[in-house]
Amino acid sequence: MKNKAVQQVLAPPAPHMVGDGFRVHNFFPSGYNMGNKRMSPFFLLDYNAKIEFGPTDTPRGVGVHPHRGFETVTIAYHGEVAHHDSAGNSGVIGQGEVQWMTAASGVLHKEYHSEAFSKNGGTFQMVQLWVNLPAKDKMSPPQYQTLTKENIGQVNLPDNAGRVEVLAGEFAGTKGPARTFTPIEMYNLHLNAGKSVEFSLPENFNTGLLVIEGNITVNDTQEAPTDHFVLFQNDGERIKVTANENAVVLVLSGEPINEPIAAYGPFLMNRHEELEQALRDYNQGKFGYLEE
Amino acid sequence: MLARFKEYIQKNTTLSDEEFGHIASGVQQKSVKKGTVLLKQEEQHSKTFFVAKGLLRAYTIDGNGKEHVVHFAPENYWIGDRSSFYHHEPSLFFIDAIEDSEIISIGLDFYERSESVAPSFNSYLIRLLHTNSILMQKRIIMLLAATAEERYLDFVARYPDLLLRVPQWMIATYLGITPESLSRVRKELARRNFKR
Repeated sequence: MKNKAVQQVLAPPAPHMVGDGFRVHNFFPSGYNMGNKRMSPFFLLDYNAKIEFGPTDTPRGVGVHPHRGFETVTIAYHGEVAHHDSAGNSGVIGQGEVQWMTAASGVLHKEYHSEAFSKNGGTFQMVQLWVNLPAKDKMSPPQYQTLTKENIGQVNLPDNAGRVEVLAGEFAGTKGPARTFTPIEMYNLHLNAGKSVEFSLPENFNTGLLVIEGNITVNDTQEAPTDHFVLFQNDGERIKVTANENAVVLVLSGEPINEPIAAYGPFLMNRHEELEQALRDYNQGKFGYLEE
Repeated sequence: MLARFKEYIQKNTTLSDEEFGHIASGVQQKSVKKGTVLLKQEEQHSKTFFVAKGLLRAYTIDGNGKEHVVHFAPENYWIGDRSSFYHHEPSLFFIDAIEDSEIISIGLDFYERSESVAPSFNSYLIRLLHTNSILMQKRIIMLLAATAEERYLDFVARYPDLLLRVPQWMIATYLGITPESLSRVRKELARRNFKR
């Protein structure tokens, strides 16, 4: 089996604030001009690298905004993220948990640090991905999945190498709990210093690794420090990740969606007319109402 | 940003590339950060602005320190204080950038040059004036005689994406209603139109 070749190791681009609660590095689509399709079906990766927030009475976050045509996947590595939406759903995800929100036909929601986290402050680290949906599913009803320690697939690696949390897809026979509309593999690797893990992903899947913690070497040749993103070419299948120090690595891999993209702000559709319709629907209250 | 300005001018006039090149020779291209103040109330200013990318606003501050937005200028809109620009009078309002923006700044000489280079440009300016007058008339009617909901619906028809780009309190000042009234309008529209 051939190794997946590393195309590039990307340093985190300059960060920007989303609301007042999320200080994110956008690896794609804007950072490095990767564009809309290079990591399809993943449309956007916003990475809030580890940061300390002081205590506050008013939780920091981003106010009410709409989404249509895709899913948002929020992974909390440190700290807690709370959310509310216009359909009446709400919840909090803590360390190691994932909120997988299928916005699809449309929701209004707001996301912020939880009250408990805000009161004491502390370390915050989070990833948000926007996962595109196929055209036929973009207007399907919104739904939520919360991935917790109880349902996330756990694989203990041999030789005391560490463990793998399987969020979506399958690793070593263990399935991830997330229901996805297209084939996606998503894992968190927790590797002990000096140890390795090998796995394979389909050649045509757009694939990347984000180093959340520690420092790794990929395929015995390419080093990737903390907060860097490893972009793979679409050839080969095998990836070997070696932890040079204790490491946490997010693996993203998915079958590309080969459909046209029309994107504007929080709307991700296929045609410009659909964006205009999304704006009209939003303006007319068809996404519901949510207090700030 | 000049390319966007050229595309706009050529879409609305019959100017050739060469003619555009002549009239655009004196304009200034500027990138301004969010929050940049381009004009202050009471200042005399001889520039007007075309928004190639981003969002500017014109607003006044009343005697109680409250802001009132007179005009929003997203992409392909013009914004300026006409009394200051044409009659060298103190400006009636402030102009600042709500987003990082790319703008074309023009002076009176732009119009003088345009008329001599391409007389057909004049008819475009007249159309622009009429459009602006009509807009002002509609705005007056909205502010005098329309309900909060009617004002809101007129606003989103004219500026379909500004609800995503502008804070709700600022839209309320444009509409001449309180932020609470605007929330009520949007809540009522959702009650009628949102289907679970």
